[in-house]
Amino acid sequence: MENSLFSKPRDLFLDIVNPRDYVQIDSVSHMYQSLKNSVQKPLKMILLYGKPGTGKSMLLHKLHHDLSKHQKVLMFDIPIVDEDDFLRVLAQRIFGHSPREVMTLTRFLEIAEAVSYQDVPIVLLDEAQLYSSSLMEKIRLISDARAIKFVITLHKTDKEDVIAKEHFQTRIWESIELQNASAEELKIYVQKKLLKANCFDVANMFNDKNMRLITSLTKGNYRDTNKLLFSLFSLYYWYEQNHPTLIKYNALKSKWIEMAAIHTGLIRA
Amino acid sequence: MLDIRNLERRWFKYKIKSYAPYIGAIFLLLISLMAVLYLSHDSDAPVSAVKKAQLDSTVKTTSLTATPKNDENPDILEPSMDFVQSFQTSIPQTPMAPAAPAPQSPKPLQQSIPVPKVLNVPESASIKAPPPAISPLSGDKSLSVNRNESKIDIESVERRFKDTSNASLGLFIARYHYDHGNYSEAYNFSLKTNNLNNKIEESWIIFAKSLVKLGKVDQAKKTLQLYISESNSESARSLLDSIERGTFK
Repeated sequence: MENSLFSKPRDLFLDIVNPRDYVQIDSVSHMYQSLKNSVQKPLKMILLYGKPGTGKSMLLHKLHHDLSKHQKVLMFDIPIVDEDDFLRVLAQRIFGHSPREVMTLTRFLEIAEAVSYQDVPIVLLDEAQLYSSSLMEKIRLISDARAIKFVITLHKTDKEDVIAKEHFQTRIWESIELQNASAEELKIYVQKKLLKANCFDVANMFNDKNMRLITSLTKGNYRDTNKLLFSLFSLYYWYEQNHPTLIKYNALKSKWIEMAAIHTGLIRA
Repeated sequence: MLDIRNLERRWFKYKIKSYAPYIGAIFLLLISLMAVLYLSHDSDAPVSAVKKAQLDSTVKTTSLTATPKNDENPDILEPSMDFVQSFQTSIPQTPMAPAAPAPQSPKPLQQSIPVPKVLNVPESASIKAPPPAISPLSGDKSLSVNRNESKIDIESVERRFKDTSNASLGLFIARYHYDHGNYSEAYNFSLKTNNLNNKIEESWIIFAKSLVKLGKVDQAKKTLQLYISESNSESARSLLDSIERGTFK
């Protein structure tokens, strides 16, 4: 419905990684600035890691969005696990070379040497934990040869500390860890996102109590927060259409937040 | 598409589940509280039974004495004070006699505390007989049956004490006499109890209180001081304080 107050906020929180939706929060901005500074240094490999939903992909997309204006940057948001395919895509999209023969590492390095850029091209690899060990070894050799600079993102799980992995332990020159958001940061994130889209009335409905509940449900995970708020505004949209008198515009209803959490699976009921 | 009805139902279940531990905890707390109350009430039962029995005996006495107003028989049955005489004669024969109490008991407390002399119980004639529950009215020809079962009871207890020399019985008798204002008896029996067992705090307390009641305040203080130095008893200390401050009555 066109004049619905909640349809626009609902669509804002669709779980899509779009660098234009990047919301500046102090801690994330600081991370992003240090990531940008690292990229400018003659480092060969930069690791961005953190738990799922901490904004690694968004930061990588933002970096890609910002750097691609000035230098050669290639983004792999979906991993290419086949080694030959990986090297072939790199050769074609960075160096503009499409060999017909089988692409070996030696051949790739020959191509890279033949094409020289003023700035070393940057390749951004999302979900790098999905790459095989042998492909990671090749990536290391390529970065050692200073043919390409890699920025990779990894999930950090409780069971497996990826920093300890042999591949990354000795070859990472810089690593940046992203953390889950606090209640205050999440409030800033939500309100900035809503205000950016001119949803002032809805932004004013978020009070500290609401944000504490949302943070406790999502544990500060941005992805879960997006999913929860999408469901919440879908609920509000439904009530707006069917029982508008039940809506209070001065604060969010805890009951409906919990119902949205049940719907998204954050609460098992 | 959201199924709001289903979501509301699930939310309701979730709330019930989330409150369940608190409700359970409160329920358990209430149960345990009730159990504690019940148990404490149960443990009080024997004491209250004894009190009730004592009360009953008194009540019985008064009720019995109150009723025979209409009786034509003017004879009044006086309480027997024979037990006093029998007890008096038995005192010197007991091993706890004041003549030589110290050598008989080698306990350290016994040695440190000078054993006071047992007071002579006054002759039965000089003992004021307890006033009859109903004073016989002049010219009233009613029969007054004045039975005092509690006296009979204590007599039997004293007989048992004489036979068994049980310190607990001695303490019971001393306590009984003290409660009934027979301070000299209370003094005697607490002294005997102390001779049998010098570690019963209450017996020493009754002993000292009886001394005060009998006007021997200094002796009471001395006794308490010696007992405190031996046992470090808080009750004795507080009694001594109250005696010294003059608040003990």
